[in-house]
Amino acid sequence: MMKHDAVGVGEVEIGDCKILKIGGRSIGIYYDGEKYFAIRNVCPHEQAELCKGKITGTTLPSKPHEYIYGMDGEVLVCPWHGWEFNINDGKCIGDPKYKVKTYEVSIENNRIMVQM
Amino acid sequence: MDVSAKKSKSSLKQGLIDCDFHQTLKSFDDLKPYMPRVWWPRLSEPEATLPITIFKPVPLSRRDASPGNGLPPGSDPEYAKVDALDRYNISKAVLTGSLLTVSAHNNPDYAAAVASAFNDYTLDHWIPTDDRFLASILVATQDPILAAKEIDRLGSHPKVVQVICTVSSREPFGQRRFYPIYEACVRNNLVLALHGGGEGDGINPPISAVGTPTTNFERHNILAIHHMSQLNSIVCEGVFETFPTLKVVFVEGGLAWVPHLMWRMDKNFKGMRNEVPWLKKKPSEYIIEHCRFTTQPIEEPNNEELIQMFRMMRAEKTVMFATDYPHWDNDTPTFVLNKLPEDLRRRVAYENAAELYQLNSKPLVKEGGPL
Repeated sequence: MMKHDAVGVGEVEIGDCKILKIGGRSIGIYYDGEKYFAIRNVCPHEQAELCKGKITGTTLPSKPHEYIYGMDGEVLVCPWHGWEFNINDGKCIGDPKYKVKTYEVSIENNRIMVQM
Repeated sequence: MDVSAKKSKSSLKQGLIDCDFHQTLKSFDDLKPYMPRVWWPRLSEPEATLPITIFKPVPLSRRDASPGNGLPPGSDPEYAKVDALDRYNISKAVLTGSLLTVSAHNNPDYAAAVASAFNDYTLDHWIPTDDRFLASILVATQDPILAAKEIDRLGSHPKVVQVICTVSSREPFGQRRFYPIYEACVRNNLVLALHGGGEGDGINPPISAVGTPTTNFERHNILAIHHMSQLNSIVCEGVFETFPTLKVVFVEGGLAWVPHLMWRMDKNFKGMRNEVPWLKKKPSEYIIEHCRFTTQPIEEPNNEELIQMFRMMRAEKTVMFATDYPHWDNDTPTFVLNKLPEDLRRRVAYENAAELYQLNSKPLVKEGGPL
């Protein structure tokens, strides 16, 4: 495990997901305005470029015909088949046995550092 | 006794439950004592009760199963007992009736009156004749409130084990206007059976999703699309979350479509779960827990493929044997069950149905030895 200098803090805008090559892997860096996330840019389903999908919210568990919106800004949706991933832990919301790799992120000297 | 009947005797020692055994009327006049006078004239008019779209070259009921004297097959319980129950050593037969396609009739009140009268006829003329007969309550689905009243009227009868209606309908059964039927099933501790029939007839949508086929052959090949549509709707709308004790049997749709639908539903659920946030588990898990499927008309690939198909749909929990006696495309017990390994045969022939209909407390095998 080592820290990789990914990108400067000002280079990832709020709500944006910047896709970079880090340590030989394609990684999406996402900034929600408070925190940075690093997510492997490969969907575990059919290896689509996951981080080209949108980050949004989803419907929370509910009673039949009840709709509760939540997790806004915490759900990454694959552009291919619509699989939803929780950006906090990488787990697929529709089937948690699938998971996309997420990495620890830290800020050092105004640089976004990814642990991998 | 024919050879196939002898074989069934030796291979089904634990008993045999037939989940689709059709009783019918001798004539529509049989309904009159149970129907308001206002409806009587309609009964004798051709096609005034059961709307039919497609000509069937082979008649619905087997000519060889007629009790004689020109009576319709399945209209005489004494004859049916010898011709089917005794011949095939059937321990219990769930009577699934006739006139199911009243749900395709344009008049909801007439349809409800026909269903109600037929139920009374069955309870008076069939159920008392043999302990092996179990009853279904026929309901017309045009007006779910009336259907629920009928379920409440007869649901506590000790021989009634389920509610039955056609699998065809104007709207998918998962939709909320049908919930009074499910509430009544649950309230009365009854299974709901959705039986083939009425596709494209009367007020119902076309037989296929692209219109009306030209021949009965073409129709019969795709009948299961109606079972698929209803199962899909019921699961997706969260009916089993709203009614956690409800059990639904899909009758006369065959089986091979079930793995296909389960796979597609589970696959799509991963990506489209957010439209149905009330589903707490994979669609196939609801199906395996809440739904049962009867064998007839069994698909007829080679045995190895057939057994694979049974395994794919968890048949040890989900599949129940049915003859469809005395209809033209019926299956005999040996034809279906002798293809299966012993563990599956036991579950399909007897145990799944005994558990579903809660018959375990009652002996299904006659004293004095195996049937």
